[in-house]
Amino acid sequence: MKCDGFEALINDLAKGVIMDAALRDQALSHAASCQRCAMRLADERELTAGLKALSIASVVETPARVEASLIAVFREQHAALPAPVESLRATRRWLYVAGSVAAAVAIVLLLSLAISRTRDAAERQKPEQAIATPPVPDQHHEPALKPPDSQEESEQKKPTVNAAQTVAAVSSRAKKTPGTGPGTKPGIKPGLDLRDDPNTEAEIATDFFPLMNRGAGQLDSGQIVRVELPRSALMSFGLPMNMDRADERIKADVVVGNDGLARAIRFVR
Amino acid sequence: MTLPTTPSDVDLLRQMMTGNEDAFTQLFQRRQASVYRFALQMSGSRTLAEDVTQEVFIVLIRDGGRYDPDRGSLSAYLYGIARNHVLRKLEQDRPFVQLADRGDGDEFIPEAMIADGNPLGELTRNEKIQELRDLILSMPPRYREVVVLCDLHEMSYGEAASVMGCAVGTIRSRLHRARALLLEKLRAARDRNEDSQDVKPARCFA
Repeated sequence: MKCDGFEALINDLAKGVIMDAALRDQALSHAASCQRCAMRLADERELTAGLKALSIASVVETPARVEASLIAVFREQHAALPAPVESLRATRRWLYVAGSVAAAVAIVLLLSLAISRTRDAAERQKPEQAIATPPVPDQHHEPALKPPDSQEESEQKKPTVNAAQTVAAVSSRAKKTPGTGPGTKPGIKPGLDLRDDPNTEAEIATDFFPLMNRGAGQLDSGQIVRVELPRSALMSFGLPMNMDRADERIKADVVVGNDGLARAIRFVR
Repeated sequence: MTLPTTPSDVDLLRQMMTGNEDAFTQLFQRRQASVYRFALQMSGSRTLAEDVTQEVFIVLIRDGGRYDPDRGSLSAYLYGIARNHVLRKLEQDRPFVQLADRGDGDEFIPEAMIADGNPLGELTRNEKIQELRDLILSMPPRYREVVVLCDLHEMSYGEAASVMGCAVGTIRSRLHRARALLLEKLRAARDRNEDSQDVKPARCFA
């Protein structure tokens, strides 16, 4: 063995990890014959001894606080394991559906209550109207928001002419609804289908339907208030409704007297 | 009669991943000392070693599933994580190299270095150990880590190669160079000590 070969083995020789006995003997015999390599081996052995001592002296443990904090992290990690994503989504979906159903039921209940009260009021109003004197329409004002012919028709057909005329008088004082004046489409008669008309661009409205409030007196003046109602409210006034769009909303104008009571309503599209 | 079998690291890891805290504790107690010691020997700072140990096991808690037994032992995997963290922190702290300050309480003085027999002999021995430790810390990290892994942790070349992600030949040649460098520094340090001892008091002109 030469010095180069010995140098390649010197670390393992100093650490005593050469497994091949023949190779180790060759290296040791070379060190015995070469003073320089012998000195190198002595240095390496001294270094190995020093490192061994350092290794033994360095036996240390992690402070207990590290373990404690890691256990806390471990617990937090496993406590915070998220529920399966699918079940979370299903729960949210269920809640959404339940909420929607509850809201729909509430709306239907409110509507049916309103309708039944309106019908009840109408039933009670009939005998009163039979003995009431029809008020003379105010000639100084525009007759109504609808053409006179349709008004006449409605007067002939409906027994609630008193209220309708009163409402018409109020309406004429109130701000006109755009598109309901002269030059626009004629007013829609009650019973006119309000389903989508693609050719319609301007706002069109039905006649006013009287709302019979118990205890409501003569209407001297009032205001028209624009509101939005569920589309199903059309049905309570005998108007056709597209059931596919029952959950949509429709605009309506409500005549509200100075006493705060609603007197009439018309639907607007 | 059957002897109770000790669960392997991989078994403990699997149990740990299912939320078994005992398995985690067992695995931690089995592997923490070597990870902490490696970080301490690489950095010379207890604080940094604690941080690194904590980070290594946090990685194991959160991403233990990323360990692939086919690529090496769990021990080597943990050493590899520790090595990455240590090197990153050493790189971050490089602009703020500390002067050799022995009084800040953060330096490495293990219990085993406390003398209990011959105080003078122990002092000399402890001084030599401390000198060697300082010399190791003064080496470039790529040499330092092979000395720490192969000499202080007595890893085989193959294990060290697995930790460092390089070839066995690279480990062998780097260790050879590192030890030569260490001997060079030791000789220089001894020469300085001998020179200082050779100084004899001359006449005092005061």
